Amino acid sequence: MMEILKKTNINFVGMRYYAFLFSGILATLGIIAFVFIFMGKANLGIDFAGGTMIQGSFEKPMSIGQIRNALGRNGYGNAEITELKAREVPYFFMIRLKSTAETGSKVSNEVLDVLKKEFPDNNFRKDSVDEVGPAVGKILQQQARLAVLIALAGILVYIWIRFDFRFGVAATIATFHDVLAVLGIMFILHKEITLLIVTALLTLAGYSLTDTVVVYDRIRENLKVFRKKGDFAGTINASINEILNRTLMTGGTTLLAVLSVFIFAGEVVHDFALALILGILVGTYSSWFVAAPIVLEWEKWSPKRFK
Amino acid sequence: MKRSQLWLTLITVFLIIASVWYLYPSLSLWSLSDTEKALLKEKDPSKLLSLEQRGIKLGLDLKGGMHVVLQVDKTKLKPEESKDAVERALEIIRNRIDQFGVAEPLIQKQGEDRIIVELPGLQDVERAQNLIGQTAQLEFRLLETPENTKTVMAKIDEVLTPKKTEVETSKGKDTTQEKKIAKDLFSKEVIDTTVQEEEAGVTDKPFTSLLELSGSDFFLVALEDKPKIGQYLKDPKIWEQIPEDDTLAWATGAEPYKGVDYQKLYLIKKKAELSGKYLTDAREDFDQYRRPEVRFTMTKEGGRRFAQLTGANIDKPLGIVLDGRVESAPIIRAKIRESGVIEMGSGATIESARDLAVVLRAGALPAPVKIIENRVVGPSLGQDSINKGVKAAIIGIGAVLLLMGIYYRLSGIIADFAMILNLVYLLAALAGLHATLTLPGIAGIILTMGMSVDSNVLIFERIREELRTGKTIRASIDAGYKKALLTIIDSHVTTLITAAVLFQFGTGPIKGFAVTLSLGVIISLFTAVVVTRLVFNLRKNYQTLSI
Repeated sequence: MMEILKKTNINFVGMRYYAFLFSGILATLGIIAFVFIFMGKANLGIDFAGGTMIQGSFEKPMSIGQIRNALGRNGYGNAEITELKAREVPYFFMIRLKSTAETGSKVSNEVLDVLKKEFPDNNFRKDSVDEVGPAVGKILQQQARLAVLIALAGILVYIWIRFDFRFGVAATIATFHDVLAVLGIMFILHKEITLLIVTALLTLAGYSLTDTVVVYDRIRENLKVFRKKGDFAGTINASINEILNRTLMTGGTTLLAVLSVFIFAGEVVHDFALALILGILVGTYSSWFVAAPIVLEWEKWSPKRFK
Repeated sequence: MKRSQLWLTLITVFLIIASVWYLYPSLSLWSLSDTEKALLKEKDPSKLLSLEQRGIKLGLDLKGGMHVVLQVDKTKLKPEESKDAVERALEIIRNRIDQFGVAEPLIQKQGEDRIIVELPGLQDVERAQNLIGQTAQLEFRLLETPENTKTVMAKIDEVLTPKKTEVETSKGKDTTQEKKIAKDLFSKEVIDTTVQEEEAGVTDKPFTSLLELSGSDFFLVALEDKPKIGQYLKDPKIWEQIPEDDTLAWATGAEPYKGVDYQKLYLIKKKAELSGKYLTDAREDFDQYRRPEVRFTMTKEGGRRFAQLTGANIDKPLGIVLDGRVESAPIIRAKIRESGVIEMGSGATIESARDLAVVLRAGALPAPVKIIENRVVGPSLGQDSINKGVKAAIIGIGAVLLLMGIYYRLSGIIADFAMILNLVYLLAALAGLHATLTLPGIAGIILTMGMSVDSNVLIFERIREELRTGKTIRASIDAGYKKALLTIIDSHVTTLITAAVLFQFGTGPIKGFAVTLSLGVIISLFTAVVVTRLVFNLRKNYQTLSI
């Protein structure tokens, strides 16, 4: 039998105050990022902020990869490039970049210069430059936010029914914590907030929740020990330790899968994969140091006999 | 083998067969090279089309699609309405496209009054254009009474009779028209009996001779005569004969009648009694003769008005007018409150009823839109990125398979088998549901594969725990599955709740994500718990267990 860890006895709950401090910082970061996003001041992608669209054609054959690389070398790696299949003009491309009303003309001029500089012997003829709006409008954003809130409420109710009200609240807090933490880190790294990143956040919310529920399940099972000994902290510690191998194994396989996306899938999904990697790490951390210890603190403030 | 196991085995095998069936078009399509595809397109285009339609749909980033630029006509709007007209049009078009079932479209405002719509791999371009471009201004209007209609028509004939030669001379430059006139003149001898009557009246009834009065509330105009009617209707003198609060309106589509295609023409009130803004829902349905129709429901306020309107006009036809064209004009048989039916006519298909229902549900565009550009776009990722994505998928999934095999040995390989089955089922389900696959979608699937072994990890760790307590192998396996099951269900249900909510309230890409997520969860529950169990049960007596 191959094992990552033999029987462990790590005092997870003993470290909870350091963890709360660390989590507090992460969550605050996330809240700041969220406020900035809400005010439209964060580094929002073209999906949310709109931008500039340049249409034009090359004289000689050109692939999207070549253009993307050329723009990437000059700081426009996030450009969305589409080839228009027009019968009249070959090698006709549509380049969408994020910009604001003020920077619109500057961005388009710079891109045109880059194309001229990078492809001196393949002239790019500009056809039109237009301002484009966000692909995800205000109403869509509202609906998405509403959906996330309802989903969290649904989870709270489910865990409340299956476990206990405190567990439900703690799981919801932990999930929020994970999403905020990753959002905060992405914000600090000055990564562009795109629709892909939002999808990654939703995915990691699901992942972190699964992890939390698995920990809770073991705690619930071990509550009979608690009833005998009255040691809730010890029960939580034992539970986390007992499933440590499972957590590391699941985290490991998932991390492997996402790492391969991060390393091999190319620039387009790079930040998406980064967000997922952070999500797996934070999600695992929070199921040990946030989700369970919150219930412990709650129990200390208002003791309650577990059924 | 126990009875329940037999059933589960049968279900597993059945699902594998179904998956192969659903995946076959995609596989045969992907195995074709570009030249082979081009060859097939020439030789058997319908086969290629059918393969493409049944295969897994690829998103704009992987396959490209249709790029449509729409212009919003704000000229007729008041200043305060035109301010956010484009934004509103955008949301309504998005709604329609979502309900139409095109996943992962791109919808973006361009400049001041344009909207870009990009639809991945769409086949029925015309249908999509109809869906996007319709204003969907629904109105309920009363028809003019049959007596008045007849009087009006007679008057029109009167004003036209002296002018007839003039009108036809002006059109005489057109050679085809000349032939038509010749045909008219000598019609008595040449024309068959069905149209003889109307053609016979040519000299003194230039207008009504082109119309066939059917029933008492509408006219039939042969499609070939429609341009001629249009020509007449340019004459303001004709409009002087039509009462001020009436107008002529065409029906939406043409219908065959006695072997000729006709379009209906109605004399209808200008004033709308009720508008579509009170509509809360519209669904396609079949009537008792299996003809498609659209059933709609209204708000309370709308229902009250509708009851008033229908109550006061029993046995009269009610025109249901969409964008100025009469969709249908059923006779009101009884007072109707919140719900009603739009008849679709005999030539309609259930798809057209569905499209109409979608357009009505999503609401009316604030202003007419015009398609000003319509092109095919290539994949936005480029072949290099697609190849990278596929490579990442193979490496990622391969790494997970390897890790499981090394760590749990033979049991790990059973879990690997379950995971591959999970992947096959998932792709088949995506093909069957016509979901759209994008590069992020592929990344999501890779992640799901990494997570899908979680259930097996939980089970295996449990089995190990049971083995440590000294239980027999058989008992450990049974206990491991039993104890892990509740945990697995809890973790799956929470994810499923999230997915269901995102599906219900999300739109566009969020909805697509929810579909893949929920499918992945349900399928992994089946493969990780049921299928691996079946494999473990293949052996009756375990002396050793490789775990």
